[in-house]
Amino acid sequence: MAFRKKTKEKKYHEPFNWRKEVRLLPGYILLLIWLVFTVSMVGWILAASLSTSGSIFKGEVFKSLLSGISNWHFENYVTAWTTQHVSVYFMNSLLYATSSMILLILVCAPAAYVLARFTFLGNGVIKTSFVTAMSLPQIMIILPLLSVTTRLHLTGSRVLLIFLYVAINIPYTTTFLINFFATLSRAYEEAAAIDGCSPIMTFWRIMFPLAQPGIVTVSIFNFLAIWNEYFMSLVFASTDSKRSVGVGLYTIISALKQTGDYGGLFAAVMIVFLPTFILYLLLSEKIIAGVTGGGVKG
Amino acid sequence: MKKNKKMMVVFLTPALLIFSIVFIYPVIRTVLMSFFAVERPSTAVSEWKFTGLGNYLNIFSKNTFWRSMRNLLTIWGVGGIATMLLSLLFAVILTSGIRFKSFFRAVIYMPNVVSAVALAAMWMYYVFSERYGLLHNFFGALGLTSLSKIKWLGTDMKLWAMIIAFVFGAVGYYMLIWISGIEKIPQDLFEVATIDGAGKIKQFRYITMPLLKGTLKMNLTFWSVNAVAFFVWSKMFSPVTSENSTIVPMIYMYDLVFGSKTITETDAGAGAAIGCVLALCVLLIFFLMNHLIKDDDLEY
Repeated sequence: MAFRKKTKEKKYHEPFNWRKEVRLLPGYILLLIWLVFTVSMVGWILAASLSTSGSIFKGEVFKSLLSGISNWHFENYVTAWTTQHVSVYFMNSLLYATSSMILLILVCAPAAYVLARFTFLGNGVIKTSFVTAMSLPQIMIILPLLSVTTRLHLTGSRVLLIFLYVAINIPYTTTFLINFFATLSRAYEEAAAIDGCSPIMTFWRIMFPLAQPGIVTVSIFNFLAIWNEYFMSLVFASTDSKRSVGVGLYTIISALKQTGDYGGLFAAVMIVFLPTFILYLLLSEKIIAGVTGGGVKG
Repeated sequence: MKKNKKMMVVFLTPALLIFSIVFIYPVIRTVLMSFFAVERPSTAVSEWKFTGLGNYLNIFSKNTFWRSMRNLLTIWGVGGIATMLLSLLFAVILTSGIRFKSFFRAVIYMPNVVSAVALAAMWMYYVFSERYGLLHNFFGALGLTSLSKIKWLGTDMKLWAMIIAFVFGAVGYYMLIWISGIEKIPQDLFEVATIDGAGKIKQFRYITMPLLKGTLKMNLTFWSVNAVAFFVWSKMFSPVTSENSTIVPMIYMYDLVFGSKTITETDAGAGAAIGCVLALCVLLIFFLMNHLIKDDDLEY
């Protein structure tokens, strides 16, 4: 580490200082503009998702909502969820993201531990190839993978997508966890060794639980990345029924634009938007700390 | 020690095995493939015909390829400058002792956790809409009729509309990296400068900026890697066929490999060649970053 870690200052309530706040005014204004823009964008989409194409085109989305709860068109969500099969994409994404997230930890945590703790020939090479792989354009790997999977008749299977999601996230997950294990003290392992605990048991019983904060953070990022993933799902899920929300939403938007059902279109957008947004509302501090905390996602 | 060896093998094998299958083998095969005439990705190796640099000469002779590279360069250059400046600006504002810092920070980072398809849809079907869009209404309310009449999704403006929407989503991520860079600078440097009579702007110019060189390099590298992989946004902004106004190399390669309305004969070899060109671009950028921006490796 080139930088000394700064101890976090204690939080205290600053007395209100007019001169200071006035000096910061331009900053507040810029932040507020950004905030107002973001809120009005998401707010309007939410309102439009409960509205009809007619009100949307007349620009009266909020007016129709304010005129009473009877004008709230919840059926847009029903259309999107059942008729447009958002439910299928939603469940697929949930399955892909959850299972890959768990498998990634089982594969990467042991590897990261070994790479962080032991020096051996090739250790540096492995770490460097992981970092290189993170910046590799995905188009460098999909053609051969497609060739292999077509010949084995695997394209379009859910297991294949889960395998691929695990595989493409190995470099990031391992690098993140290497950095995390490196911060844990060696005293734990020494104590365990004296007590006669085997190295493998020491890892699962002691080090793995100690690494929990890092594991949780990296799992959140993996979940978000896989939930929102587009390219792999587009290429490898050959039928609609196997697709994840990104590609699914793309299909729905094209379909509903054709029929002119903009209320349903925005409802589908909201259904895809909300899960990660709610996750973010609950975990924003942890997510933000994780972006710069343990190796940055490339 | 012997026990450790067994453990190392057991712990490392799954990760390394999967990594080799999904990264090392495909990269080698893609590089080889770019020198052969290959119709489809699934074409057996025995049917590959060696063409030397044929695939490269082929794509270099196509207008669409150069158009896609030019678009990518615009996204990387113009979008990059806008993203870097905006994210640095917000990082400086948020570290200047402002109230509700973590709230604003969370709001600006938010688009990064949302599906890009959903985000792009919000921009395309609301913000940029010509009939009821946010920009249309906003400029209309201010009486700026010429601005409110801009056809954001017309052929002339589409690329810029796409860059604006993309930059909006990207700013938060780079801002977090700037913030972590700024917060690593020891406070006493600023205290000393204040005592010596340097104002905030001078402090930024002579303390913050020089000390953020490493962070700048990191941000530029990430931006470049993300820009090269540009795909979803372009797909969203030209949903039916790949339009010249928003085409990027990834889209062109996708059309070449899987066929599209305009490209009926698939050419996986050419697709692999585009992949290699993009990978070389990334390498070139890494090389340039390392030589142009010297990391001083500061110890505080």
